[in-house]
Amino acid sequence: MVAALMRRFGDLDIAEEAAAEAFATAVQRWPADGVPPNPGAWLTTTANRKAIDRIRHENKRDGKHKDAQLMYDDDPPEPPGAIDDERLRLIFTCCHPALAMETRVALTLRMVAGLTMPEIARAFLVQETAMGQRITRAKAKIKTARIPYRVPSAQDLPARVSGVLAVLFLVFNEGYLATGPGTDPVRHDLTAEAIRLTRLIRALMPEDGEVAGLLALMLLTEARRTARVSASGELVALDQQDRGTWDAALIAEGHRLVRERLAARVAPGRYQILAAISAVHTSARDVRDTDWSQVVALYDQLVRLDPSPVVALNRAIAVAELDGPEVALAAVNRLEDKLAGYHPYHAARADLLRRLGRGQLSRAAYDQAIELAGNTAEIASLTRRRDQLGWRR
Amino acid sequence: MQYLVSVINDTADLATQEEMAAIDVFNDRLAAEDHWVFAGGLGSPSTATVIDNRGGDALVTDGPFVESKEFIVGFWVMQAPDLDVVLKLAAEGSKACNRKVEVRPFLGE
Repeated sequence: MVAALMRRFGDLDIAEEAAAEAFATAVQRWPADGVPPNPGAWLTTTANRKAIDRIRHENKRDGKHKDAQLMYDDDPPEPPGAIDDERLRLIFTCCHPALAMETRVALTLRMVAGLTMPEIARAFLVQETAMGQRITRAKAKIKTARIPYRVPSAQDLPARVSGVLAVLFLVFNEGYLATGPGTDPVRHDLTAEAIRLTRLIRALMPEDGEVAGLLALMLLTEARRTARVSASGELVALDQQDRGTWDAALIAEGHRLVRERLAARVAPGRYQILAAISAVHTSARDVRDTDWSQVVALYDQLVRLDPSPVVALNRAIAVAELDGPEVALAAVNRLEDKLAGYHPYHAARADLLRRLGRGQLSRAAYDQAIELAGNTAEIASLTRRRDQLGWRR
Repeated sequence: MQYLVSVINDTADLATQEEMAAIDVFNDRLAAEDHWVFAGGLGSPSTATVIDNRGGDALVTDGPFVESKEFIVGFWVMQAPDLDVVLKLAAEGSKACNRKVEVRPFLGE
């Protein structure tokens, strides 16, 4: 009952209290009036009324009870726009700048994308209880400090939207490479939700380059989703994928967005550059047709914007295709201090060492990558590649 | 909805004439737009006295309840419909008085 109320009212405190009040009313009335014919339905209806009363009471001064009524699903079906507006409001509340970045992501995953607490805790590599406390504190702050439940005004929108994009990108990535041991390796529900929300933001800000860039990046990534996991449940690397199964419509839409940004002749941000890299990959019918010099040039542009070790690692992987694995390995090795706990670093090293015929070092690097990786399909793929080393020696 | 906007600094130096003039302009605006509730500057932490009468025998201690590098040197109480509005006001207040500020909501009326 609490979950149903939570879905309707989006506030756990209200849901819990309304349920408790409904039971309390039942205890008072049933002995005198008799038990109603359908006790379960009676409790649900009473709890809904209590919740709405409470929201009306708390918000009567600023007319927020309209929002509560909108969410109350016994009312006639809403026009499609209303649900979208609802989600937009919720996402701008969850991504409010008065909340810490980690809290924003966690709240969005919980409240907008509907992930469970263990899934979120796993994605952040923190204890479930700590994650629970963080979300509880955030909800209390939203309520007590009155973080508004609305889409910012046009003049505030640009400043608020970059934080929202960062959150949506993380939601998408969690879907595209799910970290949980008990979840599907690719969670289409999350990638689809991230794309849907990004489309909503784009409808709100059609001229914003980074919004278009992020949407293009997601579409071009999502287009490869079905080719990404093999029938045996292994993650399939870009160069091994069956390109015939890529989603042509998504690729066409992504390419259109990338061209639109190129035509705008405004210096691109990181999402636009990442989308352009993805566009180069998805333009090649065969992996051997990939324009690697273009990919490396785009990574060079990205490094200037974002000199983080993860970007440097991805650049090095592209360099391997242009200048060979020896050059790439040297670049990767320089990142050891910063990326020792990041499994893609070890996976990239393992692959480069394998290509250079250094089996033993490669095996050790695969072992480290497997130990650190969380995605089941990726672990399967890394394990196979490691075990194939043994036969070659 | 009311918010306490505390002014934080690491010295108890009084506002300069320039800062004072900017604060006056800001305060006038708060009043004109119905955000003004109250405001004031505070003496330095060394002028504070702590009283603990929980045991019935009032214990008086010289100095602030906690020694910290930064402390509250003044405050506004502002009226605003939500956090977005008060955060904008607080940003302007911080600029006017040339110090950091902290925003905290008063608990529900």
